Amino acid sequence: MSKLLEATGVVAGYGDGPAILNGADLSVHPGKVHCIIGPNGAGKSTLLKAIVGMLKVREGDVRYKGESLKGLRPDQILRKGICFVPQERALFPKMTVRENLRMGGYSITDDSYLNNRIGEIEEQFPILKERHSQHAGTLSGGQQQILSMARTMILKPEIVMLDEPSLGLAPKIVREVFEVMQIMAKEGITIILVEQNALMGLKYSDWGVVLDLGRSLFDGPAQEILEDPRIQELYLGGRKDKP
Amino acid sequence: MTLLIQTLILGIALGGVYALMGSGLSLIFGVMRIVNLAHPSLIMIGAYVAYWPFRLSNIEPMFMLPVAAIILACIGAILYRFVFEREARSAKYSEMTVLLTFALAMIVEGMLGTAFTNTQRITSPDYATEAFFLADIFIPKGQLYASIISIIIISALALFLKYSRLGYAIRATTENREAAELLGVNVNRVGLISFAIGLALAGAAGALVSFIFSFFPSKHWEWIVILMSLVVLGGMGSILGTVIGAFLLSAVAALVGTYFGATWSTLTFFIALFVVLLVRPQGLFGEKPELA
Repeated sequence: MSKLLEATGVVAGYGDGPAILNGADLSVHPGKVHCIIGPNGAGKSTLLKAIVGMLKVREGDVRYKGESLKGLRPDQILRKGICFVPQERALFPKMTVRENLRMGGYSITDDSYLNNRIGEIEEQFPILKERHSQHAGTLSGGQQQILSMARTMILKPEIVMLDEPSLGLAPKIVREVFEVMQIMAKEGITIILVEQNALMGLKYSDWGVVLDLGRSLFDGPAQEILEDPRIQELYLGGRKDKP
Repeated sequence: MTLLIQTLILGIALGGVYALMGSGLSLIFGVMRIVNLAHPSLIMIGAYVAYWPFRLSNIEPMFMLPVAAIILACIGAILYRFVFEREARSAKYSEMTVLLTFALAMIVEGMLGTAFTNTQRITSPDYATEAFFLADIFIPKGQLYASIISIIIISALALFLKYSRLGYAIRATTENREAAELLGVNVNRVGLISFAIGLALAGAAGALVSFIFSFFPSKHWEWIVILMSLVVLGGMGSILGTVIGAFLLSAVAALVGTYFGATWSTLTFFIALFVVLLVRPQGLFGEKPELA
């Protein structure tokens, strides 16, 4: 299978601090949903931040459609079609829902096209249309997550990376959020998901990657990972057939 | 009663100018987290830019307003590029900028003092000493004009922030720098532009101040307290808050001046600063400070 994005031997960390990633690899297949799982501190979020240029790639390389992303700024990487939704949702709480959507399309300079896109997204997610003049900070956690995911779609990105979209949400809302992710996938957007709730994340994914201690340990179809007894033992909270 | 109304009108007539003086400070803090203690000293440069052409060839200080704004915007872009941008990602950036801008204020004061001496100056176009009369109440023309122009400039700024693409970027950067960057905003450029706009506002304020207050290079120390108090009252980073804070405090200061004596008037700003920080440190429209 051809690869849309490929990270090889990535070493990265925060500021001048120690390396969190010690040679992590990631292969991204076009049109698939990928789930990165692993324990706390494994470097899952760090890997996403290194890919979008928020952290410096100290060693190794990140190639997108054959072109290296190393050394590019986040805004330059975004323009190539890679969007990142960080853990803290990154909304502008004192701007309205529509203004937040408009910011999602900040890199679009054609105003009428941008307005059309905002209209289309609002059709797709009626809750956003309903709340368009409300400040984003007054939305519920689930609605905020939906807004930050829908916001990336304005740009018709090639890849969307989601960092723990389920964090702090009630189980019912988590399902809604994953359904939004499926809508995105259906539109042909390639998704890279980092998820603490590994079982749930893998269930909604095509491909799984296990990351631990800053290295990629396993990479394969999500179903295989779900069924692998070693991975179940180590990362999925024990084997299902155990009493 | 007439005295009360008269006092309030005099206070409010100054409010607009204070608002303009403070709005640049507020914008710069909001976007960049720079606590610009040098703001009033830069306003002082604007005042001199208006003063000399008037003194030498009787050029109307209000004509010099855009010139002062442009000169200060250029100074701002250069300062930002070479001084403030370097450490912009530091976690202690705000604290650092307090010292940095304190030093900058001293440098500007020293340079102005050397160039123009510490003599008191004021531009004195005719309207600066004239007034409108409504029955027993007078409204000084200079203060009225300056306040109206200030409000026009601030309204233009507000519209620009609300509707323009760059305005969106500035507001977004103010609220969440990292998120703005992820959405494709070049935050460094937004920082530079905001800093330049903030100083352009300082320059414009300087030109207006030049015919309202007598000024000399070291007077900026007096202004910084006034500006800090109204910006803190309004909520640091909120321009609307700054405007409301400015009108409120200048009205109160005028009342204090009339009923307790002019010496106590400036004290109003100190006390306000003190009380706001104790009771409601986020100000009227600011965000609650996060517990670290």
